[in-house]
Parts: sequence; C-alpha cells; structure tokens
Amino acid sequence: MPTDTKRVRGPEVSQSLSRFICKPETTLPSDGTRADGRNRDQVDVRPVFVRCGLVSQAKGSAYIEAGNTKLICCVYGPKETERKDETDMKCGRLFADMRFAPFSCPERGSWIQGSQEKDLSLMVLESLQPAVCLHKYPRSQIDVNVMVLENNGSALAHAITCASLALADAGIEMYDLVLGCSIRQDGASYLIDPTFLEESGSNWASGENQGSLTVSFLPSLNQISGLQSDGEMGEETLTAGVRTCIEGCYKLYPVIQQALVKAVRGAAPPPSES
Amino acid sequence: MATVQLSEAEKVYVLHGIRDDLRVDGRSCEDYRHMEIETDVVSNTDGSAKVTLGHTAVLVGIKVEMGKPRPAQPAEGYMEFFVDCSANATPEFEGRGGEELGMELTNTLYRVFNNKRSVDLASLCISPGEHCWLLYVDVLLLQCDGNLYDGISIAIKAALFNTKIPKVLISEGEDGGTEIELSDDPYDCVRLSVDNVPCIVTLCKVGPRHVVDATLQEKACSVASLIMAVTPAGTCTCMRKVGGGSLDPESIFEMTEAGKRVGRALHGPLTALLRQEEALGPTRQKVGFLG
Repeated sequence: MPTDTKRVRGPEVSQSLSRFICKPETTLPSDGTRADGRNRDQVDVRPVFVRCGLVSQAKGSAYIEAGNTKLICCVYGPKETERKDETDMKCGRLFADMRFAPFSCPERGSWIQGSQEKDLSLMVLESLQPAVCLHKYPRSQIDVNVMVLENNGSALAHAITCASLALADAGIEMYDLVLGCSIRQDGASYLIDPTFLEESGSNWASGENQGSLTVSFLPSLNQISGLQSDGEMGEETLTAGVRTCIEGCYKLYPVIQQALVKAVRGAAPPPSES
Repeated sequence: MATVQLSEAEKVYVLHGIRDDLRVDGRSCEDYRHMEIETDVVSNTDGSAKVTLGHTAVLVGIKVEMGKPRPAQPAEGYMEFFVDCSANATPEFEGRGGEELGMELTNTLYRVFNNKRSVDLASLCISPGEHCWLLYVDVLLLQCDGNLYDGISIAIKAALFNTKIPKVLISEGEDGGTEIELSDDPYDCVRLSVDNVPCIVTLCKVGPRHVVDATLQEKACSVASLIMAVTPAGTCTCMRKVGGGSLDPESIFEMTEAGKRVGRALHGPLTALLRQEEALGPTRQKVGFLG
C-alpha cells in the first residue's frame, strides 16, 4: 500500500474520537420520516444549488451543493495528449479524477488516493464517456477533476452531475448532460439521495434487500451511462431502484439546465448598440 | 485490458451472428465455454483453485492468518483481495501495466463481498476485539481471453470451498496474557460455508442482444457490459456497468433478468462438482498445470 512519506501525519497511534463516543443507535429508524424531514419511498431529492464558472483558471468549472454535500469540479482541456504511444488518432481521451478532501468525511481521510477513490474516479469516467463527443477532439485529452469538499452522502451521484456541468461550461461538445442519482435500499423501502449516516455501511441491518445503488443517466437520450450497486438485493428491487433513480434524475434536470443557461448568458458578450 | 483489433467487416460478421443467436464458436448467447476447475493445486496455501474458462486461466490462493479485527467490527474477521495481472497473460501487463486492470478487478471483488451474507465473517472471529482470522485471497491471472470476472469469481468460490482454517484454542497464560494453541492434527480444521458466495456473470451488449462469457473478439464489438454478482438464492450483491458506452434502461432490465437466470443456473452444477471432487479424497489424481 502506498504510504505518505512527505507529510507528517501525526502520531501513528492516533485514533478518531468517534470510536469513543457511545452511539445511541446504529440502525436507521424504520418509520416514515428521515432525519432531515424528507420521506421514505418518495422521490424526494435534496434541493440543489449549482453554479458554473467559479474557477477562473480552469476552462470550465462547476460547484454543486446538495444538503451538506459540497463538490467542486474543474475541467482542463482539450489539450495535447501526454501519452504519445497510446494516441488514438481518431478520438480524444477523457481523464477523470475524483478526490475527497481529508476533512470531508467524519473520519479523516488521507491525501494519497486510496482504492475507493480510484474506483469512484473510474465510475465518473465511465459515466461521462458516452456523453462527450470525443471524436471531435482527436489526439487530445480532457481532464476532469472533482474534489469533494464535504461529504454528506451521495457524493458520487453529485460528482457526476457536477462533472458534466463543468464539461458543458468548458464548451466541450456533448450529446447530453449526465445526471447522477443514488438510492439506499433499506428492506422494503428506499431512501433517495441518502445522507452520509443513511448511506454508511456499518448501519446496514442484517435483513433482506440492504444495499445502495447509483445511476447516471442521460435524460434527453434516455440512456444509462453508469450503474453501480452495492449490498445484496433482489433483481426486482434493483429494477425498481433503477427506475426510481431515473425519476430522481428527471427531477434534477430543470435546475441543472437553468444553471447552465444562466452561466452562458453571463458569459455572453452584451448585445451591441447599433 | 488485453484487446484484439478487429476490422469493421469482422465486427459486422460477429454482430450478425449474435443477432441470430449463433456466436463465432457455435455457442448460443447464454452458453459458457468449456470450464475446468481444480482445487488444492498449491500445497502452501490454505485453499486454492485453478479455473480454466476457454483460454482464460485464473489461479486463486487463499492464505489464512491471525490478526487483530477491524476496530469498527470487533467481532468479525475480514477478507483482503488482491488481483495480480501477471505478465504471462499478455506483454501489456509487464511491469505496472497490469496494475490498473488489477485495481479495477480488486475493487469490484471488495464490492461483491461487501455484505453480511456472502461469507459468514462472524465465524472468523476468535476472540472479539483481540484475534480474528484474516483471509487473504490472492488472484493470479495466467491467461487472458475475455471474461475475467466470471473466471475469478468461480475460482474464488472453489478456493473458499477448499479452504481449511485450523482450529485454535485461546487460553489464559500464566501472566494473564492469552495463549494461542493450534491443534496438532493438520486435518483438524474448520471449513467455510460457501452456500451464499456469489458468482459474477458478465453480460456484454453486442448489437441488440447480450452475450454471456464473451471472448475478446466479442468484447471488441460491444460498447458496454453489465457485471452482476448473483448468489445461489437469486439475489444480486453487486451490479456494475463497465465500458465506455451507454445502455438503454430496457436493455439493462433485460440483462438483469438474464444475468439472474444464468447465475442461478451456474451455482447448482458448480457446487455439485466441487463436492464430487472433494469426495474423491486426498488420493485423487491431480492434473495441476500440465493438463
């Protein structure tokens, strides 16, 4: 495992405080309401705040906030591809990188990219690839960097949305926006857009149908570009979960579109006086 | 990933064949290639299995070690996976070339086993908070001809079936420290139950239909695949879409159903075969790596 030899991380035996706090309950309450007032079994995504064009140096950037989950994404490119030996003459390459700030989760993470972050980066890449017109950028590469500033659940789903918005803000040609949505299946009911507590694996009760599902969707083309599930679920539950996520994506779509239109209007030159 | 280059004409040929439910080697869309499984091939491990699926060969070795349980789950043991893409498979894997693919396979394996029912981790606990069994599952890819996920998951199931965990006795020592005693008899061991261990089914979308157990040629013609880990009960522990293309929701539902069907059908004969091999006893003829 790669270790961080450049930074002083504190004493080796330091432990997080959360281990010493007595936890009152470790499973999700199974009644109707969730902790933040939303309902179970309803397509109740958290209200989203989105803004494009935050980072002046980047070609395109976007910031998304859903509840307490905050993410920022920057897009650099198209630029000449660095790896000459694998240059594909016909189409460009997309590189996606998703990182968590060490202070983003309740437990401190490390700066070295762990295997979970690599896995998430791969998922972001696979979700964005069908949507970008890579054949229009031969011999080039486009870098997408997502940084999670605060993780309060559904980081991957919002990262995908944020990344596609940043790509659009950068002017990269795309077939469609990619929206992400995730649900957490808890027995017979589901929780859409779960918070960190609702999502974390240690809270899983041992019963049937416990798991989580993240779907990334292209709304105008009705195509699923990314799918990832975890935990043990029946096939009908998975199918229903995918449909619910698609509904959740449709709910987000107008907000994202509006944010993009606003950014384009803001960047457009003022109408000339004639 | 080791890929083959296919011309457009070859792709069209493969596509048309699959549309008519006839693949290049004569199989139908949901048939597996000839599979050979052998367990207990490496004597230094606590459990091992070698699976040959067509031209794909996978070797899994499981070693059991005693260690401290994770602080978050003090009454459970845990499993560590590692997939090594050996340079034997293709020259692309030389040095660090196979690292990316290995990481992807490893992460998927963690996800597949990340639930309470696949492997009974509570049975791996020796004394809560102090000692537990760690299962190190190491996968080695010897030959690569498509469909790595399926081969790896079958090999892991066979190796887990074959794993023998020694019986251990914890007692209070003279100074109050714990003493660990291993039983002297090498055959006095605990076996793991593999009744809920899932197998991964990879469904590749080629044209309008999906194929199970795709070769490298068929993979080159497909835009996206769906990986499903199916348990004998028919539930799915992990589902992932891989590849750079997108899929229609209807095709995903179709593939999910097919994956569940194929996965369930795979477990029955596999378990029967493993028990049959076990029944042959320690004096059976071992084919090993030459056959």
